[in-house]
Amino acid sequence: MRDGAVVAVDSPGSPGADVLLVSSGMIGQSDWTAALVDSVELRSLEAALASRGIGATEVQDIATAAVRDGTFAVAAGDIERCFVDESVDEPLLPASTGVDPDVLLAETARQLDVLSSVSPYRDRVVAAPERSGSTVEEREIIALATGRRNARDMAFALGRGLHPVTVAIAGMLDDGLLEIAPPDTSFSFSHWGLAALRPRTGAELLPHPRPREVEC
Amino acid sequence: MLVLSGSAFPIQEWSELNYDALGAELQKLRENVAGVTDTVLAASDGIPILADVAKNVDPAHISALAAAGLGIARQTTEVVGLGTLGQTVVFGSEGYMAVYAIGRLSLMVVLGDKGLNLGRLLHESRPVIERVGAILAA
Repeated sequence: MRDGAVVAVDSPGSPGADVLLVSSGMIGQSDWTAALVDSVELRSLEAALASRGIGATEVQDIATAAVRDGTFAVAAGDIERCFVDESVDEPLLPASTGVDPDVLLAETARQLDVLSSVSPYRDRVVAAPERSGSTVEEREIIALATGRRNARDMAFALGRGLHPVTVAIAGMLDDGLLEIAPPDTSFSFSHWGLAALRPRTGAELLPHPRPREVEC
Repeated sequence: MLVLSGSAFPIQEWSELNYDALGAELQKLRENVAGVTDTVLAASDGIPILADVAKNVDPAHISALAAAGLGIARQTTEVVGLGTLGQTVVFGSEGYMAVYAIGRLSLMVVLGDKGLNLGRLLHESRPVIERVGAILAA
């Protein structure tokens, strides 16, 4: 927070401004890495981005979107503890004007109310058999819906915000394009019948035996 | 029960490993740490023991790479005098591979996406390593 406004939210539950910026196509991965290097001397990542033709307005739009999405990510998960720390590192791409906390909380509460049927962390989804998406977004999500990923994992794989991806998944669950994956799809254990700590014979070493699926 | 021999590997009697208990530990770790995508338990010579991985991840390759990397890291800590090796982490632009030594005989590989919370992983993995080590030695 700065001057009473939220300028950055860092959460492993939602892609940050850096991920959103690169995935938006505004800047390539190699240019992004070069901008990070330049920012050390310039003392400003925004200046380094501006020298590559990325305007401050676009950067700020993405930084503000990341703040809103990060707040949703924090509120949608479990909060174990809370403390004030004045020694926090300067955020990589802060939203310079920030967002009023009251506005942020009201907006996040509305988002959570609407999405009460699906958890972005708990629910892992799998594509429904013989169904295909009608939009590019739906097809991208279906391609990632192996049953191992939840909405948070999809957001990072797609480089999009957690909230919009969760909304899309909720809609696709309602439309029957996706299903909540059963536990043995979300966690699929294989073992090789190996007693780990005993000496292995040549027959065990070559070739690799086919793994056995197990339910744990 | 373990019977020590002259080999680098102790001889284990014919009881099978408790795969259910090991799987429960890997599942808990993936559920509790955002960004963990795949986990593999392997012997320290690179032979996989138990894996929870996506279809495009080959546990045999991952185990071999992890064992090789851990061996070099372990040697490095000894030669440079950095104490006991705890973990190695490979940072990629798209994700991470963390490898933890479980005693001297086994290891755990954790793959994560670019949003992986490394601090949380370190915190959560310590008790998992303890329990997995106990299960493997039982």
